Parts: sequence; C-alpha cells; structure tokens
Amino acid sequence: MEEGERESENGRCSAPSQTSDPQTTPETSSQNRETDGDDIETKLDISSDKFDPLLALYSPQVPLPYPSIKCFNNIAEYESFMKGGRGRAKPENVEKRLRKAQKGKADPERIERLKKLMVNNPVEEGEGSGVKRPPPQRKAAKNVLTRMPLHTGSPLGQLNRCVQEEIRVKVHIRTFKGLRGVCSGFVVAFDKFWNLAMVDVDETYREPLLGQALYHEKALTVIRLFEKLKVQETVALSATERKSDLHSSSSHLRDQTRRTDPKHTQERSEPSEKDETTLKVTQKSETKPKVEYGRVHTRHVNQLFIRGENVLLVNMQQD
Amino acid sequence: MTSLSSETKRGARNQDVNMDVSHSIRERTIAENSLVILLQGLHGQVTTVDLRDESTARGRIINVDAFMNIRLEKVLYRDRRGRVSSMDDLFITGRNVRYVHIPDHMNIIETIETQLAKIHRVRNFGASGGRKEYSKKKIFL
Repeated sequence: MEEGERESENGRCSAPSQTSDPQTTPETSSQNRETDGDDIETKLDISSDKFDPLLALYSPQVPLPYPSIKCFNNIAEYESFMKGGRGRAKPENVEKRLRKAQKGKADPERIERLKKLMVNNPVEEGEGSGVKRPPPQRKAAKNVLTRMPLHTGSPLGQLNRCVQEEIRVKVHIRTFKGLRGVCSGFVVAFDKFWNLAMVDVDETYREPLLGQALYHEKALTVIRLFEKLKVQETVALSATERKSDLHSSSSHLRDQTRRTDPKHTQERSEPSEKDETTLKVTQKSETKPKVEYGRVHTRHVNQLFIRGENVLLVNMQQD
Repeated sequence: MTSLSSETKRGARNQDVNMDVSHSIRERTIAENSLVILLQGLHGQVTTVDLRDESTARGRIINVDAFMNIRLEKVLYRDRRGRVSSMDDLFITGRNVRYVHIPDHMNIIETIETQLAKIHRVRNFGASGGRKEYSKKKIFL
C-alpha cells in the first residue's frame, strides 16, 4: 500500500511534465516508464478499477462520461433533487408550466361559442377576447325632469306647455267631497301623479263645513266661492265701518243681515242666526268674534308643493 | 364586501346622515321619477305641511321617503279646529299630505337636480366595479 502510494506520488510528479523523469526510487521508475500512458488514462477513467481521484482532481484533461450533467454543490442538494422537491422537472410539472403559460389566451372555440350566445352585439372578426367589452352607455338619463316634456299630446303635455311658457294657471283643489278652493300660480315642475311645484301662489279656499251642514250644503262651485269671498269682504268692510261709527242705526244692520241671509240659507241656518245675534251684540259695541263657519280665506304662498291626489283640475288663465 | 365598506365611508363623510339617499333601489327609482325628490331635498328645512284634514304641522323635516311619508321634529301642530299643540316628533302618512310649503330661499329646479345627482352618484358607485344588486348581464359559463 505504501509502495503504491509512493508510486502514485511519483506518478503525479511525473504526469504534469509528461516526460519520463528519472525517479528517485529505482523500483518505481521502471514501472512508471512502462505504464505511463496507459496508466494515466485508466487512472483518470472513472469507471476503471485504477481510478485515481487525486490525479483526476489535478489533471487538466479529465474525460467526463456525461459532460452536460446537472451539477450540485453538495450531497444534500443532490439528495433533495432526487427526492423530487419544488422545481424538479417531473413530467407532470412540465405540463403544468406549459398550461399556465397558455392560460392568458382564450380558447378560440370557446370564444366562438360565447359570441353566438351574445345578444345585440355584432360579431366582429379579429377580436382577441370577445367576452369582456365595456358596457355601452345607451340608456339616457330618465328622471322626473326629463319626463316632463315627454307627455306631448296628452293633458300633461298641455301642463308642460304651461311650465315652458310660464302661463299662470288655476288649480282647483279638492276636499274629500267637492271643491275646496283655487290656487292661482305658475307651475315650475310636475310629475305623472299631478304633484305640482308652484310659485307665486294665491290660494282662495273655504274652510270645510262641520256636522250637519256637510250633508245639507249645496256643492261649492268656483263662482259661489268667489261670490262668497266678495260678500265676506263687503261684510268685513261694513264691519270695520261699523266699528269706526260706534253707534249705527239698527235698520242699517238689519238690511245687512237681510242681504246676507239668502246667501246663508245655503248653509245651515244657525250661523245666520248667530250672525244676527253677534251683529246685535256689536250694536252694544261689544266686539264678539264672529264664529262663521265655511269662511272663505285667501293667502299668498311664494312656493308651494301640491300633492297630485288633491288636484281636481287645472285650467290656464287666459290673458 | 368592498361596496359595503365604501358606503359606510361615504356615510361617515357626510355630516348629516339624513341627507343620504335611500338604500332601497325601489325607493330610489320611485323618488327619481316623481316630485317626491323635491321634498327629499328639503331634509333639515323648517316648513309647514298642510294635511288633508285641514290641520297643519310646522317643523323641521327629518326625512321624506318615496311614498311621501314625512317625519318632522319640534313640531307646532294646529289641528283643524285651530287648537295648537307642540310635539317633539311627528310622522305623517304620505296620503294625508295636501300641501308642503317650500322655503322661499330654495330654488326648486336646483334642489331637484342636486338630489338627482346624489342618486346618480350612488347608483354608479355601486354598479361600477362593485357588488351589483341586480346583475343586468347574463352569466355565461
């Protein structure tokens, strides 16, 4: 063994020079000269019995059986590779990787199938992924303001004309039974329920009668409404006159009551009587508040919203 | 889930929660296509509501829904006989409304347009890139 080692050492020394150097030991020198060429090859041959690893490590030309083999840094690396960890090029993994690379591109057959199912969309040639397209904004805004001009040809269309041309209208307002009053003003906005948004509104209305009068009253009409208003105004005027002259003739008063009487018989008789009594009381210069039912009132509202349910009719004020 | 959190963010941003648009799609469309939207623009204003039965309620509008149901606070209620009473909270059914007085300083068309813009914003917020309540597109496989 020692001899062999010494031989190999000598062989090593001689191998780089590639000359048959005279060796120190007489035994080895003859051997070396003889087996130099063959020896080196066999020693460098991995599969041979005489493989010399030390020689192989330091020789410049080592014949490698598999030159393009995967190299590892240590045995542990080799071990884990053999066990089949991540990245190991197993046949299944290779396939997976190829499939993933292909994922972005849609299957052409699938595209065609989907295109056929699409409605209202022209099938265009040469589109890559025809499934996702930005939704075309074909729906115009439909809201209460855009709906206002849509009613042409219908009564609401006429109402729209009043809005556009700023025609003053009179809106009849209803009580559960019959007419309540009249709103005169300009319509700014409306909707299909006849809800109205009005400006500059003068409202003339009558308070509802209570109790028995409800059944007995004659239906209120616009004419009656305004007549009553006029009458009220004159009564009020005369009342103020009466207040200014502390004592006025009773005959004058009686005339007043007689004039108002026929109007009041339309409603229940009580208020007229009350009127008489109150008037008589005012004779004594005691101002008792008149409790007259079914008074007509006027008021002005700058901006008013009317729920459509309460609208009886709308007519335009011709001027 | 993302649209939910965004909605809460939006709610937190608005100082007055009542100004927020109704969460129901049905109520939104009803309001959008009728003049109720004008009343919804009156959130927070002090106005008078005349009722069908000739009584009046004057107070601050808290909320109006698509059916014109009105919630008022700090109300001076005058009943049809003329008796006045004061209430902290009043709820009026939509059908019982006859008039709503609109404050003089409010421009009607502008109020309507502001409210419509709010609805538009809410609708687009949820619809684009978020969870849709009703998907208009068919679902392909």
